[in-house]
Amino acid sequence: MALIALASSVIISVGSIAWGYSEAGFIIFSRWVILFGIVWLVTAWRGWGWLASPALAFAVMLAGAGLWFGLTPGWMFAGGIFSLFAWDMTDFRRRMIGVASDEHTRAVERRHIARISLLSLAGLFVASLAMIVRLKFTFEWGVFLVVVILLGLSQLAGWLKK
Amino acid sequence: MPRSIFLSAIVYGLLLTGLVSLRGEFIALAIPFMLYLLFGFWNAPESIDLCIQRELSVDRTTPNTDVIVTTTITNNGTTIEELFLDDKISPRLKIRIGSTRRLLRLAKSGSFTFAYTATGPRGSYAFESLHVTATDSTGLIRREADIHSNKKLFIFPEIRRLKRVYIHPRRTRVYAGTIPGRVGGAGTEFFGVREYQSGDSPRMINWRVSARHTERLYSNEYQQERVADVGIVLDARASTNLFHENTSIFEYNVAATAALSDALLAQGNRVGLFVYSGFLGWTLPDYGKIQRERIMQTLARAEVGVSSVFAGLDHLSPRMFPAESQIIIVSALLQDDLNVLVQLRGRGYQVMAVSPDPVKFEYQLLPPSPRVDLALRIAQMERDLFIRRLERAGIHIVEWDVSIPLDQAIGPALMRQRRSMWL
Repeated sequence: MALIALASSVIISVGSIAWGYSEAGFIIFSRWVILFGIVWLVTAWRGWGWLASPALAFAVMLAGAGLWFGLTPGWMFAGGIFSLFAWDMTDFRRRMIGVASDEHTRAVERRHIARISLLSLAGLFVASLAMIVRLKFTFEWGVFLVVVILLGLSQLAGWLKK
Repeated sequence: MPRSIFLSAIVYGLLLTGLVSLRGEFIALAIPFMLYLLFGFWNAPESIDLCIQRELSVDRTTPNTDVIVTTTITNNGTTIEELFLDDKISPRLKIRIGSTRRLLRLAKSGSFTFAYTATGPRGSYAFESLHVTATDSTGLIRREADIHSNKKLFIFPEIRRLKRVYIHPRRTRVYAGTIPGRVGGAGTEFFGVREYQSGDSPRMINWRVSARHTERLYSNEYQQERVADVGIVLDARASTNLFHENTSIFEYNVAATAALSDALLAQGNRVGLFVYSGFLGWTLPDYGKIQRERIMQTLARAEVGVSSVFAGLDHLSPRMFPAESQIIIVSALLQDDLNVLVQLRGRGYQVMAVSPDPVKFEYQLLPPSPRVDLALRIAQMERDLFIRRLERAGIHIVEWDVSIPLDQAIGPALMRQRRSMWL
């Protein structure tokens, strides 16, 4: 579960930043951002936790640069928020190495993901507010919000089923 | 760098950029990071106040037997959101069922019990502490502690029962036992003939000798059976125990020592154990079951040691053993040990060497080839010559081909009475 959450957060983070840059016409640069995302995913997959912090710093820098150049703030906010999510999940996965997979561990995992998801939603709410204030609440942003909410709901449904 | 400092740096960077450029987006971007930090600090665990209770299904066992370790943790402090438990056990122990690492939330006054099944080779294992890490939900603030619990697990060497170990030291103790005491009296083994004394049973009269003397009667005298002092020396030197690719014959030495001490103590003797390793470990001689337990604990802890000081057996001082007692050396033996053993023999000790055959042991580890076969023949000849020299000095050598179980291989040899013992 933690691995899925980690992979999803990396994809959403890098995807948002890349989308924001490509929307503004920086197509080549957005491809480099996607390449960075792939590298981040691979390192997360291989369990190289020490790369999470540089990746977070780099993602925040990309988001900050996007804001500086006047790109759509929502995408940049989403990039920053989900990079924080990914950074947190990397550390959480590291803590779980070798831990017995029992009901207690799963409960801690569920609680952890639920809390960080709530924090991300709060961040997205801030981002949406910023988009509305700056009259940049686009159709794509709406679709993105729906996808993220659906992801969260499906996760919630999965837990309730168990 | 601690995670909280790293995250704080990002927050400060974003806030500074926002303030310098007078652009609110940067400050807005910093908000989720600040929330994350605040949440972490808010839920930071206070001091760890945990109590541990640990139980072992057995505390004395044999190698590769399952031992269930049950640990109960009670939280006497505040609720800990994420508590990571790491039972630091010896790397030599193997976990068969369960895990030594747990992650859980532990409420105030709550308790948690977990168990795992471990198994391992001979050794002494301490379950001294449980490493706990308490963190908030974000993992930003962590507190670590080692909670102590004193439990010990002894994995004793497997003991092959030897029916009887025949020894014949020059001097015995006063208590009745099974060792011929070289003193005439009540017993079962013929000792000699003496003049009849009043009170002797008519059954004791040696009629054949008495017939030769018309005026006197002669009685048979039997050897008194007593207990003896036995010093067992376990050779744990690296030079005699380690072979090709770090394989070791030491476990066989330990197995032989365990079987010998068990049998000799069962016969009622006073037995001491001397471990000749990187240091000298001495279990003082004593009788009975408590001494057996002491010796087994020492054997559980015994390890091969490397030391330039104790490379030879020169530090095997005769003062450590009662005069004219029985010394049993369990060792693969080196050529250089000859003098020390001969000197011990010369001082009046009965010396027996139980020697796992290192030549055959190493031969089994090597790939078969004509060269190896030739080397085996040469090494075997050298060893045979060495053994003969020891035997000529009056040392009883019991060779053990370790591919055969101990009781079958050396049991019969240890039970036989040897003529040379009268030397």
